[in-house]
Amino acid sequence: MQSNRLGWILLAPTLVILFFFGVLPFIYVVYVSFHQWNPFAADPTMIFNGADNFRKIVFDAEFLNSVSVTVIFVLFAVISELVVGYVLAQAFMKEFPGKAIFRTIHTLPLIMAPIIVGSVWKLMMTPSIGIIPHYLNAWFGISINIGTSPVAAFATIIIMDIWHWTPLVTLTLIAALVSLPPDPFEQAQIDGANKRQIFFHITVPMIAPAVVATVFIRLMDALRTVDEVWMLTGGGPGSATRFVGVHIFKEVFPKTNYGYGSTISVIVLYLTIVACWLLYVTMLAPRNKKD
Amino acid sequence: MAQVKIDNVIKRYGSVQVMHGVNVDIDDGEFVVLVGPSGCGKSTLLRMLAGLEEISDGAISIGDRVVNDVPPKERDIAMVFQSYALYPHKTVYDNIGFPLKMAGRDKSEIDQKVRGAADILDLTKYLKRYPKELSGGQRQRVAMGRAIVRDPQVFLFDEPLSNLDAKLRVTMRVEIKELHQRLGTTIVYVTHDQIEAMTMADKIVVMRDGRVEQIGAPLDLYDNPANVFVAGFIGSPSMNFIHGQIVTDGGVRQFRSDSGLLLPLPQTALPDGHKVTYGIRPEHIAIGNHGVPLRVVVVEPTGSETQVFAKHGGDFVDALVKDRFKAAPNSEVRFVIDPANVHLFDRTTEQRL
Repeated sequence: MQSNRLGWILLAPTLVILFFFGVLPFIYVVYVSFHQWNPFAADPTMIFNGADNFRKIVFDAEFLNSVSVTVIFVLFAVISELVVGYVLAQAFMKEFPGKAIFRTIHTLPLIMAPIIVGSVWKLMMTPSIGIIPHYLNAWFGISINIGTSPVAAFATIIIMDIWHWTPLVTLTLIAALVSLPPDPFEQAQIDGANKRQIFFHITVPMIAPAVVATVFIRLMDALRTVDEVWMLTGGGPGSATRFVGVHIFKEVFPKTNYGYGSTISVIVLYLTIVACWLLYVTMLAPRNKKD
Repeated sequence: MAQVKIDNVIKRYGSVQVMHGVNVDIDDGEFVVLVGPSGCGKSTLLRMLAGLEEISDGAISIGDRVVNDVPPKERDIAMVFQSYALYPHKTVYDNIGFPLKMAGRDKSEIDQKVRGAADILDLTKYLKRYPKELSGGQRQRVAMGRAIVRDPQVFLFDEPLSNLDAKLRVTMRVEIKELHQRLGTTIVYVTHDQIEAMTMADKIVVMRDGRVEQIGAPLDLYDNPANVFVAGFIGSPSMNFIHGQIVTDGGVRQFRSDSGLLLPLPQTALPDGHKVTYGIRPEHIAIGNHGVPLRVVVVEPTGSETQVFAKHGGDFVDALVKDRFKAAPNSEVRFVIDPANVHLFDRTTEQRL
């Protein structure tokens, strides 16, 4: 009992903070999602409208489009980050000249705020002044304009996200690789496994928990990407890069549609939880199962 | 099954040479134990046999094939690590079956062999468990199972019993030896424990500082150690060493230690005044009425035998007797030494005379 009480006392400050800044706002958002509410209108009262907002979502083509755009973006970005991050992590496991400097430079994007990443990339991508369109044109004769080409805009955002977040994946995978015991790998060589078999039979299962944790983090982050995209393309051209985060932002701020924005937020949270749960079940649960 | 030949093998890490021309011939079906203190190079030698460590010079052959540049997976060897190196995410069944799966054997054959090995090692009940759900001894047996399903040419064991408690170590020692008798496969076994070496080996290779000190059958090494190091390493408790010289006293040739202790000598052609190290095993000393007088320091009864530590000046001598024996510290005790059991070593070269 003693240690139990001490535990609660030690947890109390966190729980209080969590309640006021996490639980309470969440409950409030759920509450708002059942209302029609424009706090800046002539009549700023909340009007309860039952499940109308939720019903509206199902027929909201823009929202459905934003979900599919987001899913495609997340798949491309997270998978690429995993692959590139793993390759870099393996590279950092070896010794090569300039490793320390390269590692520092490689980690720099992580410390930049998304809004700055967005504005820097915007500068680099703007036709006529940006360095990337300039050299693509000068060297390969390719002219791109993220203001008019949906594909270019979408691809740029994925590349920007990879540039920004791969270092995080690299760091967590390095941590996982460093902590692996060497013996099973030597044993596998003796047992007759080749490099590919060692990778799939030994390395992947042994770093799987770290990979899943990393994917969780990246998934949740990527699903709520707003500022970089807002800065770079504003969700355009058209709705090519109108991710759910951007969609919610547009509903809430320019349109001041707080009730409907909250509804979308709740649904997106729900979808995120489902995605993470699916990931957990498929990747980790089978090994935790015991007779 | 195969013979193994280690021919003048040298190992260097950069400019540091750690293995200085090691030669060992291992016969087909032989149980060879590499033994020596930490850092003597025994594990490195085993890893070179496995192909996990490159050799800088010399040749290693398994069967009739020189394997210097052959990767581990093509050497047809199986190895059991000190840590067991089980795959933590695989069940016992999959751990044991892994080498067969890698070799592309079909499922029914894998199943038959895994169950066969599990049966030999008493693991049938645990086939569906994960390594973390097993005890140390069970993990050890899984590692052995993974080795025996392959039916390799050579088994390599790297201190496989070091992580087990004393009682289990004795049991597993018997099991490994029994397994060898049943399978008849060549085994190279590394340990720092001379008891393991003595009890299990057909042939012991004693190593120190990257050199082979002596190779021989266990009792051979016990009876005829080549030098002070081997004499001190083989046998427990360790041999007594007393520094002194050969003298003739009252017409009798004797050994006189630096502190003046007189001890009986075996037949020797060495001249008087020759400086030697006198070696006598504790179990070869009896307690009697007409022996060498010493003062008791400590008496350690273990039940089955009694170890008596005694001294004379600066010389400590330790005796192991079968009888129960009681003596007060500092009382006089007489050690009876049969000269036939005495070993003489040169004091400077430490080689046997």
